[in-house]
Amino acid sequence: MVNVTETMAPVVQQVRAYFAPINRMTKTATIFDPAQSGAFNLDVPPAPWIDLGWIANFARKSGTKIDPIRSGAPATTHLQTRSEVDATVALSFESWGKLQLALAAGVQQMNLLNAASGAAAAGSGGTAIAAVPLVSGSTATVLQVGAIAAAGFSVGEIVAVDIDYAGATGFIGSGVSGAYVKSALTDVDYIRRITLNVGRIASIGTGTSAGSLTLESPLIAGVPTSAMKVSGVAGFCDREGSSFFQEWSALFVGVGQQQERVLWHYPRLQAMSGIAEANTASTGGFEKVRLNGAFRALPVTDAVDGETVVCFRSYVVA
Amino acid sequence: MQNTKDTFYETLRNRLAALNPDRTIVIRGVTRPGTLVEENELVTAVDVPDCFRLRWRPAAIDAKGTLPLATLQCEIAYETAGTALNSGMDRGRALAAMDGELLAALNQAPQNAVKTNYAGLAFGHAAITMNTSLWWASVAFGPTEIKDDRLARIATVDVMSFEETGEL
Repeated sequence: MVNVTETMAPVVQQVRAYFAPINRMTKTATIFDPAQSGAFNLDVPPAPWIDLGWIANFARKSGTKIDPIRSGAPATTHLQTRSEVDATVALSFESWGKLQLALAAGVQQMNLLNAASGAAAAGSGGTAIAAVPLVSGSTATVLQVGAIAAAGFSVGEIVAVDIDYAGATGFIGSGVSGAYVKSALTDVDYIRRITLNVGRIASIGTGTSAGSLTLESPLIAGVPTSAMKVSGVAGFCDREGSSFFQEWSALFVGVGQQQERVLWHYPRLQAMSGIAEANTASTGGFEKVRLNGAFRALPVTDAVDGETVVCFRSYVVA
Repeated sequence: MQNTKDTFYETLRNRLAALNPDRTIVIRGVTRPGTLVEENELVTAVDVPDCFRLRWRPAAIDAKGTLPLATLQCEIAYETAGTALNSGMDRGRALAAMDGELLAALNQAPQNAVKTNYAGLAFGHAAITMNTSLWWASVAFGPTEIKDDRLARIATVDVMSFEETGEL
């Protein structure tokens, strides 16, 4: 007799979210393997997964419809069939960051590039200051820009790192597609406006390392190419009514008090709500503004048996 | 949380001193602005009048966010006997003046301050500016208490901050 030990229902305080990019052109998602990585250190997710922090109000909903197939007189159900497969997820992010803002917004998330002096006003940021080209030797965490250019940046400043826009259409943005261009634009900085390849400067090199900008965390696109340039970012902006849909590979982890884990993996999640926040009471009479997001799961093919599925739920015992 | 307590004290003391530079106390022979933190001073049998005495009450931690959110309740006690010149008959006005100073200092914008680590001062090092700010809620004034010839009050204010990585 096969004896599987029964355990109590997992008692979970919070759920943590992780992001991985999708190749939008090929619709290739990042697949998480719970058999190999299910017990990963929550603070150090396996590459290319990126920690989005704790989330609240995590709610999964299945919209799958199961219809009976009846025959005979009187009609009797002999079979069942799934006539529709649908699944959605809603959540609130506990922290704000570029990725959280972009995913919660669901549309392209603009970087507010530092504007040139005298630039005409624009809702998502005026004409940007000329970007700084990278010189050789840059890595995912250290940008080499030369000593003169480095003096124009400051510790704590956010920078966007990506190539010039040269009239391309389709998905754009290094590492993660940040927008879809339907018809050619004229803004040379447009890709740096929408890129998710951003970082915050932790230190600026001096002495023998002069000219380097060390980032707090690696760029999402990895080692930058020589064609990429660096722009200073004043903040972020998203717009209700934009046409682009963010899509990401998602992993949610709930850790039970017996060290068991429930992992919910959605290889393809696409935004299905507009831009809204949820204000919740905080201490001292203040309100905490949480980013709300709602997403619909899109299908992938499970390599194991070729089944078309939209999400995976795994239970990993301690 | 010590950095939060120290920074709030420094901020409040500086604001109160700017509002009324004449409100001073002499502690261990040193004349200083009339604000102190009780847990940082020698224990005394008698409360020092005409100054603001800060004491910290139980803390609460909300660990759900990326950084834990700490909420500290600060009690600010003060009392006055008025002035000898008026034989104490102005003690009500003196207490109202202290109410006004405290309210003005805490309501002054911004109601936040960059958290600072002052631990190095004891060893001759400079204070270190930290990455986050603390902030505080509206002040709540308790009832007036009669203590012999003095009028006293305790005001409370919630002080919030994020506990930074590696912070004590």
